[in-house]
Amino acid sequence: MAIASAAAESLTQGTPETTENDLQPFFVFHKASSRKSDKKPTGTGKTRRRIDLSPSSPNKTEKSEPDKAGERDEHCNEHLRTEAFELVWSKINSTIKDILRGINTNVFNEIHHWVLESFNAIQSFGTPGFTEATRSFPIVTDANSKLLFTGMVLTRNMEFVDDLLTFEDLGLFLRSNGCHVANLSSLDFSAKSGIGGCLRGLLRQFLKATLYEADISILASWYREQENHNTPVVVIIDDMERCCGSVLSDFILMMSEWVVKIPIILLMGVATTLNAPRNLLPSNVLQHLCPSKFILGSPAERMDAVVEAVLVKQCSGFSVGHKVAVFLKNYFLNQDGTLTSFIRALKIACAQHFSMEPLSFILGGLLVEEKQKGEKSGLQPEVVLKYTSQLPSYARNQMAEQNGKSLVHGFSELRRLHKCWSTVVLCLYEAGKCNKIRLLDLLCEALNPDLYTSRASNNHVVLEKDVGVPMATDRSIRRKYSTLRKGGFIGQIVRKVRDLPALMLYQLLKSWEKTTVDVLEIHEKVKDLQSLLRFEDGKLKPNVDDISKKHSSRSPLNMEKESKEVNEKAAALIDCLVRDYLRPIECIPLHEIFCFKNVEKLQLALIGDPRRRIQVDLLEFHKILQCGCCSKSGNVLLPSMHDTSIMYSLAQEHGDLINLHDWFQSFKTVVLHPSSKGKHKSKQSPNPKKRKYSHDSENKGEASIQARFCRAVTELQITGLLRMPSRRRPDCVQRVAFGL
Amino acid sequence: MGKEESPRITRRTTRSSCSTPVANNVVETMKTSDESLTTNDLVFGEDPITLDDLLSSFPSRRAQILELVRLLGPSNSPMLPLFIYGGPSTGKTSIILQTFRHLNRSFVYSSCLTCYSPRILFESILNQLMLHRKNAMNGYSSVKRCEKPADFVNFLREALSNVINNLMGNSGKLNTKRLVGQAHGNTVYLIFDNLELVRAWDKSSTILPFLFNLYDVLKMPELGLIFVSNTSPDTYYSSMGYIEPVPVYFPDYTEDDLRQIFMRNQANRKVYSSFLDVVLRPFCRITRRVDELSTAFAPLFAKYCEPLSDLGVVPREELKRRLFSHLQPHIASSLNEVFKISSQPSPEAESNKEMKQKGSRRRFAGCEEIDELDFHMSTSAKYLLISAFLASRNPATLDASLFDSMGGFDNRKRKRKSSQKSLEQKETAEQELLMKGPGTFPLERLLAIFQCITSVAEGSIDEEEQENEGLGVQRGDGGLMSDVLLQLSSLCNANFIIKGGSCPLEGSTRYRSTVSEEMVLKVARSLKFPLSKYLYRR
Amino acid sequence: MGREKAAKEALNLLRGRLCDPTFVFKPLSDSPESNYSKLKFIISSSVTEACNNSILLLGPRGSGKIAVLELVLKDLLLEYPDMISVIRLSGLLHSDDNCAFKEIARQLCVEHDLLFSKMASFDDNSQFMIAMLRECGLAHKTIIFVLNEFDLFAQGKQRVLYSLLDAMQSITSQAVVIGVSCRLDADQLLEKRVRSRFSHRKLMFLPPSKEDLERLLGHILSLPLDSTLPHDYAVEFNAKLQNMLADEKFKQTIYTYMNSDATVNHLLRFLFRAVSYMDLGSGFLALENFKTALPNIQRQPKLECITDCSILELYILVCMKRLEVKEQNSYNFNSVMTEYKRIHDTFQTSDYYARNVCLRAFEHLQQRELICFTDNRGHNQSVEFRPVKLLISSYELQQGLKSYRSCPVILLKLMDREA
Repeated sequence: MAIASAAAESLTQGTPETTENDLQPFFVFHKASSRKSDKKPTGTGKTRRRIDLSPSSPNKTEKSEPDKAGERDEHCNEHLRTEAFELVWSKINSTIKDILRGINTNVFNEIHHWVLESFNAIQSFGTPGFTEATRSFPIVTDANSKLLFTGMVLTRNMEFVDDLLTFEDLGLFLRSNGCHVANLSSLDFSAKSGIGGCLRGLLRQFLKATLYEADISILASWYREQENHNTPVVVIIDDMERCCGSVLSDFILMMSEWVVKIPIILLMGVATTLNAPRNLLPSNVLQHLCPSKFILGSPAERMDAVVEAVLVKQCSGFSVGHKVAVFLKNYFLNQDGTLTSFIRALKIACAQHFSMEPLSFILGGLLVEEKQKGEKSGLQPEVVLKYTSQLPSYARNQMAEQNGKSLVHGFSELRRLHKCWSTVVLCLYEAGKCNKIRLLDLLCEALNPDLYTSRASNNHVVLEKDVGVPMATDRSIRRKYSTLRKGGFIGQIVRKVRDLPALMLYQLLKSWEKTTVDVLEIHEKVKDLQSLLRFEDGKLKPNVDDISKKHSSRSPLNMEKESKEVNEKAAALIDCLVRDYLRPIECIPLHEIFCFKNVEKLQLALIGDPRRRIQVDLLEFHKILQCGCCSKSGNVLLPSMHDTSIMYSLAQEHGDLINLHDWFQSFKTVVLHPSSKGKHKSKQSPNPKKRKYSHDSENKGEASIQARFCRAVTELQITGLLRMPSRRRPDCVQRVAFGL
Repeated sequence: MGKEESPRITRRTTRSSCSTPVANNVVETMKTSDESLTTNDLVFGEDPITLDDLLSSFPSRRAQILELVRLLGPSNSPMLPLFIYGGPSTGKTSIILQTFRHLNRSFVYSSCLTCYSPRILFESILNQLMLHRKNAMNGYSSVKRCEKPADFVNFLREALSNVINNLMGNSGKLNTKRLVGQAHGNTVYLIFDNLELVRAWDKSSTILPFLFNLYDVLKMPELGLIFVSNTSPDTYYSSMGYIEPVPVYFPDYTEDDLRQIFMRNQANRKVYSSFLDVVLRPFCRITRRVDELSTAFAPLFAKYCEPLSDLGVVPREELKRRLFSHLQPHIASSLNEVFKISSQPSPEAESNKEMKQKGSRRRFAGCEEIDELDFHMSTSAKYLLISAFLASRNPATLDASLFDSMGGFDNRKRKRKSSQKSLEQKETAEQELLMKGPGTFPLERLLAIFQCITSVAEGSIDEEEQENEGLGVQRGDGGLMSDVLLQLSSLCNANFIIKGGSCPLEGSTRYRSTVSEEMVLKVARSLKFPLSKYLYRR
Repeated sequence: MGREKAAKEALNLLRGRLCDPTFVFKPLSDSPESNYSKLKFIISSSVTEACNNSILLLGPRGSGKIAVLELVLKDLLLEYPDMISVIRLSGLLHSDDNCAFKEIARQLCVEHDLLFSKMASFDDNSQFMIAMLRECGLAHKTIIFVLNEFDLFAQGKQRVLYSLLDAMQSITSQAVVIGVSCRLDADQLLEKRVRSRFSHRKLMFLPPSKEDLERLLGHILSLPLDSTLPHDYAVEFNAKLQNMLADEKFKQTIYTYMNSDATVNHLLRFLFRAVSYMDLGSGFLALENFKTALPNIQRQPKLECITDCSILELYILVCMKRLEVKEQNSYNFNSVMTEYKRIHDTFQTSDYYARNVCLRAFEHLQQRELICFTDNRGHNQSVEFRPVKLLISSYELQQGLKSYRSCPVILLKLMDREA
């Protein structure tokens, strides 16, 4: 773990812009987990041991051969891998950024259009000149002229971390389209600074000057001074929910008084529901707003887009194993549904992969289309071969002859298979779209190796738990299609394809044709199936809505039959595609080089669970301070143990309320009756505190014990495991026990 | 002090703004604002209107306008302070402004809404009186820096005397040759709008009495004070009294007045009047504010006009009936709606639309109904939300019975017990629930409930997580427990949970869930969580 | 036409008089036992005998304390030129010591045309004041400090009062401190150290008697015969005025008005209103002007607010009233809504609206200040849970409902049931 995270750090330092621009908001939120991942001592202890056990590990190999050359190779290998990581990650990162930007564009266009429209509406109330606009008294033409046009941008995600970047982009977009834009956040609308605070923020962003008495009239004169005083002024508020209601309403009232002079248009990010403004603002403020709503892409959609680009389409060679994929999915669904954290998880996975896998530098090589990596990588082919020979998958399928040729061939083979796999997944996704199957779930299923093996050998090893949905009733179908034997999403999709209306089926085939265009053998199959379909509704090509008419004119049953059999064909096609080509990467030789499988590390790096960790450490502390004294003594408490952990393990006997007196007594007994061995051992116990105690252990006075007791209690309280005695029960402390 | 202050500000900000975009328009700022203001800029500015125009432009405000004109009196006649009051959107501000446009006298307007602090109020008045204009040249600084009423009085006295002398000089010229756009008379009026806001400034301890006594403090016959307020004078009585100004009252519009107002500048008066016949009466029972009514009427009228081919027709009876029947269903819904959010259709659809259709867009969104949760929450956040709701709704004493191992099974027994309660007890319980609202709870209780319901709802999670079982640290509840505090903080940010105290380390902080029940039901449905089993009903 | 012009001029003259208290209080100040004479005697004696003195002028607001004082000071300045310099402070402006000393120093500088530095510190100013006191004392010049809103100086540490009065203890200094306040217990507010140095001489200002009032009216409203006004117009005007003043109905109007508040300024406001109603065509004051002025100046804001309410708001008010009658100690929007629903269920009223609409009406009532929250803290709680209370009596509410046109019958019935 320590190696992994350290490596992650060192690697990330290589690419500063990536670190700061997508990790930074994340750190704000998940300080706890990230901090823990860095400096939890037991984490390092455990994982180091685990690393040593793991078969494909650089450390082990380098231990096994002590000679200079190995280390040198190791060294330059490290260097290569760092380079490779930077290459790969920057590729992934840029792809993600493009994807997200692409998702937002049409919403942004809508917003921009709306801004222009409402700007014209404001202008229609009159365009005052410089003197009129800088007058102190309002220009009131009619009741509607005080309306403040407001766009409610629904981010559809309770966590707004992802949307910080979105709103920045929105600001840039509008600015590039010639609006004056100011990005305010809830910090500007705090009750402390009051209305002056947010005005100051506005002026700072527009005038680029900080003024002590912030006055809206200043903004008016500034706006009229500009040679471009016929452009809208957009004020973006990131997170409306977190603003102080009174300040926000003051702001809105003031703006609504000036809106004719300064065409201000509000854009408010609403994280939860449209009721949020109602709950936050009083009615006399609400009726100054002329709201309209815009909906950003939901996080699930964004996630699918990212997954498609990064993990399925393989923008970079890097890919993840089944368990990792499942973990990522659960992490997204359960822990916190932010894309930011997902990307971060991906990055850590990537970093750990490159830090662990000696041959991973090849990825970088392949990424820059260097087919023969022999002379590119600074180390001799035999070293490479030695590493590869240790890869279990490589060993498993016997590509015995040891030469680079076969390796290169292996790589290309792997890439081809993987290409087919991704194509099939995309086809399934296309088919699954109509009944809302998320790509993430599909991916997890498609990556599952044992599903593949069960598919390949048609035996029915299907755990009942596997079945996500009620399965189709008629056994005939299940006998016909191998995929249907197991439920899950693929089965669902195939079943869906079987009873798809002709028109949709036609469109589906078109989309398949598009997706499979660069994998020939699949493309052919799709083509002829499509030709079949096109032939049969060639006559009902011209327009779509008279399909039903024509069909109704015909005898219903045969038209029924026709479309049915096409459906059967399509289902058969997708089924055999699944059977033949949906081969998870973990079932392909040499996949260790490209695919990250070690889920525990990722977990340790991501999910902090600090409270639980604290309690575990207190109970089995000897794993941390590996002193000889207490490690072998199973669960008998020795005085040489650390006070706090003694106290905590004693507290385990009590319930929610711990009687202080009993606790102290038991603590005292533990401390005062040392087994001689424990005392003697504790002489050279590494912990200095311990040594001090055992030093004056002969004349342990009541006072010192009490002092230690008090210190231990305080420590427990500071770690948040205890609550100090309440006024009602002065003699008891309460355990704040959860997590374990 | 202001004298040394202002140039320094100028220097600093111009230096700082040399690099910024502001710098390049400093140049052309000169030409916009270097023709310095004169006393003529203290009048309304546009050409004066006759009294008849004034009266006709404000239907059913004749009495108030005439009274105002009387109280302001002929030019150069002293005046006691006026106090204009009346509900919001009864035309106070615009009438007083238009009256001054009609009289064409010099005045200084300052709204206590825009000037949100004493300093800004004072400085804006001084800027106007000293004919000073904030611009990039002087770094948007005001002419004098004054925060204390004492300084303000001195500055104001000198500024006023200058202005009045100027005006007298002008009027001296006036009888020789008429200048256009020049103030009549040499009286200067100070108008304070939105005075009711001042009460909130410093608990009205000093500023308000000061403003009310300003006339007696200054003792200048050429000064007129006008206060405009939403609330009646009796709401200004404070511990220390003051000499009441002369009150002028603007009553809310009656239904007939509203009809006249809405009939102003309508394209097709016939159609609109028939429309008003339908809607005006029911809406007036709810509110008689012009702004609220106009926002409500705009979409309705668009709806009303939909069946019409051309808006120029003169509606006959049967046509009216048709239109009415067309509008009928929408009236009730919009009667009960205060805040409608319009969804934005695709741009090309409405690239050529003007304001009137905007309303119709609003209507679409008004009647839409969201039945499932329309934003993303992580599973643990959902469970946390539910447990917070339960913690706020259920009495803490029942937790043990509700969340026992069998998942709140003997809940029903409880219910029977509670139903046996005598009626008035129920009454009081109901009452205090209404009063107190959702209860507060400590963090531990929340987490305890959270653990219970997650462990009960294990099964539902397990399906998607069975691969996960084998993984070391991950535990049965799928790691829902881990960094649950972060979920809590993000729930607080989303205003679903309100946080009481301060220090999160000791358990002293108490939380309160403010989320509505239907919301929670949605969440529970999305998790297939049996909420009703755990909800303690009185 | 000429009449029009003359009328306008007369109107300006009258308004000018009404806005100028010193003119108004002139006639009240001739009799020897009037406050004017007493005050003048006290000050002039302390000027001539070159001794220190301190007086309190007490009386209700608008009883002409400052006006009389100004008259006295004007005359004294004429009598003893360059022996008196007047420093005027107001508790509204200079209640904090720093401001006060600054202002004193500023005015002293203006009086003795010295250069005043804005930068001077608190101590500088106080030192300067004491030095000036001594100098003036040596030069036999009296400094008169007029402290308006005297009670406001008495709050806080009273350092201004103390250092003033303390400086006056020395023989050399020669000053008069005149406190003006509308709090009759103003001298009780002083600390011991200040009170001991304060001479408890007080002048009480009382509202004018009836005959004073009538003299006042004649004095204010009659036009001067020796002015730019056309003589015959003035004579006619005065004649009409005289028999109007003699009119009983007129007297009734005046007295009914003065019943609420008998001070002179109160009267002035009324006269101002009436005068501004004067018809410029005829150019004479008429009884109608006063009759119309009366209701316009005596307003009943709460009743107006109730008549402004919409019917839904009336419903809410009645619901709250019912809750109060039920001795429900505290209630909030939710309980009001349950009551509203109960009324609807029992009587099947036609107007039953959605909750949010009612909430808006509720907030309207709040803005009209017919209701308010009982506690001003607890902002973290949402509006519908905060306890509220009515700000109008049930009598007012009943009157309002009666005067409300097209008020639903059911509401009246409910209110009557309560009564």
